Amino acid sequence: MQPNNAASIKPRKAVLAALLLPGVAIYVFITIIPLFTAFGYSLTNWAIGPNRDFIGFDNYVRLMGDSVFWQAFRNNLVIVAGNLIVQMGIAFLLTVLFMSRAMRGKEFHRTVIFLPVVLSAVVVGFIWQMVYSNNFGMLNAVLRSLNMDSLIRLWLDDPKQVIYSVTLPLIWQYLGVPLMIFMSAVQGISKEVYEVCEIDGATGVKKAIYITFPLIYSSMKVAVMLSISSNMLVFSHILVLTGGGPGTSSMVLALYSYSTSFTRMQLGYGSAIAIGVFILSFGLVLIFKKLAEVGQSE
Amino acid sequence: MNNSSVHAPNSYLRHLGSSIGALLLNIAMLAFSITCIFPIVWIMYSSLKTKDEFMLDIMSLPGSLNFDNYYTAFVEGEMHVYFANSIFNSVVTVLIVIFLSFCVGYALSRYQFRGRNVIYTLFLAGMMIPVYSLLVPLFIQFKTLNLTDKMGTLILPYVAIRLPLAIFLFESFVRTIPRELDEAAYIDGAHTFFTMWRIIFPLCKPVTSTVLILAFLDTWNEFPFALVLITQRSLRTLPVGLTDFYGQFTAEYTTLMAALVLSMLPVMIVYLAFRKQIIQGMTAGAVKG
Repeated sequence: MQPNNAASIKPRKAVLAALLLPGVAIYVFITIIPLFTAFGYSLTNWAIGPNRDFIGFDNYVRLMGDSVFWQAFRNNLVIVAGNLIVQMGIAFLLTVLFMSRAMRGKEFHRTVIFLPVVLSAVVVGFIWQMVYSNNFGMLNAVLRSLNMDSLIRLWLDDPKQVIYSVTLPLIWQYLGVPLMIFMSAVQGISKEVYEVCEIDGATGVKKAIYITFPLIYSSMKVAVMLSISSNMLVFSHILVLTGGGPGTSSMVLALYSYSTSFTRMQLGYGSAIAIGVFILSFGLVLIFKKLAEVGQSE
Repeated sequence: MNNSSVHAPNSYLRHLGSSIGALLLNIAMLAFSITCIFPIVWIMYSSLKTKDEFMLDIMSLPGSLNFDNYYTAFVEGEMHVYFANSIFNSVVTVLIVIFLSFCVGYALSRYQFRGRNVIYTLFLAGMMIPVYSLLVPLFIQFKTLNLTDKMGTLILPYVAIRLPLAIFLFESFVRTIPRELDEAAYIDGAHTFFTMWRIIFPLCKPVTSTVLILAFLDTWNEFPFALVLITQRSLRTLPVGLTDFYGQFTAEYTTLMAALVLSMLPVMIVYLAFRKQIIQGMTAGAVKG
C-alpha cells in the first residue's frame, strides 16, 4: 500500500465516523466493557441481592483451594488430551489416506466427516445422550447385537467412565476441523516432492512420517492451539449430556463458572472463576506455543 | 524373452496386490465414514417410528413412515415458537453483521486515519476473548439496562461476536479490489456511500456469501447467551428450547428425536448446498482466530 494512494481520497470526518462508530460501539459494549466489569465483580462478595462489598482478592484465594475448580480443570485437561491424541491422530491418518490415489469418493467422505461440525453443540449433546442411554441407547444395542455384552457400561452414570464418555462426542463433532486444516496444508505440498521420493523408493509410511508430517507441522500447531483453547472452554455439550454429574465427576471449568453464577447465584465468585478459566486456558495455549517454538528450533 | 516371462506374473501379482490393497482401503474408509454419520442417521429414521415400535427394537428401520412425532414436537412441544425465534434472530443478525462489517472493513482497508491501528487491534483481540467470561458481566449489564427478555435482546451480542471475523474477511477482500475504481467514482462526483455500496459491495459477492453462511450457522446454533439473557419461554431460540423440551418429554424418545431433526434440518440443508464454501470459510476462520 502506497501512502500517496491512501491519501488520494481523504474521507470527511463525518463519513468516517458513520462507517466506524456503529460497529465499534456495539462491539465495545458487548465484549470490551464486560471484560473489565467481570474483573471488578470478581473482587466483590456479590451473591443474590443488592449487597456487594469489595473483598479484594478473597475470591481468588478461595479459588485456589476450591477442590471442585481443580477437579474441573483436571477434567478439561483429560478432554484436551483425548482430543489431541485421538482426534489429531485420526485426522492425520485420514489426511495420509486422502492423499492416496487409490481412494475413491473423497468428496463424499469429506462431506460426511465435516457434517457434525456445523451442528449445534446442544443437538450433538442430545444425539449422544441417546446414543449412550442405558436402556434405549444405540451404543448398548449395537454392543448387544454383536454379542459384546461385556463392554456395556453405564456410559454417563458411572463416575469413573463419564469423563471419557463426554470426550468422545467432542472428538466426533470436531474431527473435520483438524482434518480440513491438514488437508489444505497438504495441498500446498507440491506433487513433485512425493514423486521424487517415490522414485527414491519411499513407501507410504515413510512418506507420511518423513514428508507429510514435517511439511504440515506448522498447520498442525494451529490445529493444536485451536483444539486446546476450544476444549478448555467446552460448555454446552457437557451441560446437555450430564450437567457435570454424576456429582461433579464430569464438571468442567466453564460449566462450573456458569452454575456458580446462575444456579447458585454467586455472581462475585462466579466472575472470579470466569477470570480464572480465562487465565488458565490462555496460559495453556501460551505454554504450548513456547514448547512448539522450542521444538521447531531444534 | 526369458526375462519378460519371469516378470509378467510378478507385475501381475503386484498389480493384484495393490488393487486388493486399494479395495481394503476403500472398504475401511467407507466403514469409518458410515460409523461417523450413523448416530445422525439413526436419530433421523427413528424419529419416524412410533414410540412402541422404537421400544420394541431400538435399531430397526421404521415399518411405515409416521410423522406424528413431528406434529407433537412442532405443535404440542411448541417447537414452532423456538423455530420462529431462531429464524428471526439469525436473519436479523446476518443482515446487521453484513452491513456493519462491510462498513468497518471498507473504512479499514481504504483509509489511513488516526486510531486505525487501535480499532484493528481491538477487533483482533476480540477474537480471543472467550464468550464464557462475558456471561456474568453481560447478564448484569443487560439486567441493569433492562435489556433482557426483549425481542431483540440476543441481536446485540450475536452481532458483536460475529463482527471481528466478518470485518477481517471484508477488509482483506476489499484490499484486493483496485483503488482506482474508488478514485474514478470520486472524480465523477460519486458520494463515498454510493461508491462503497453500489460499486465495491457488488464485487465482494464471494466474501459476502461466506460471511452470510458462517454468521447464519453460528447464530442458529448459539447457546450460552440465549440461555442466560432470555428467560421468557416465548422468546427462546431452538437450542435453549430443546433443553426445555427435553425436560417436558424425557421419556418420549421418538418425539425428542423428531425435535432434534427439526432443529438440525435447516443447518444440514445449508451445509449440503454450500459445503465447499462452509468448509473453506470455517477452516480459514479457525486458522485466523
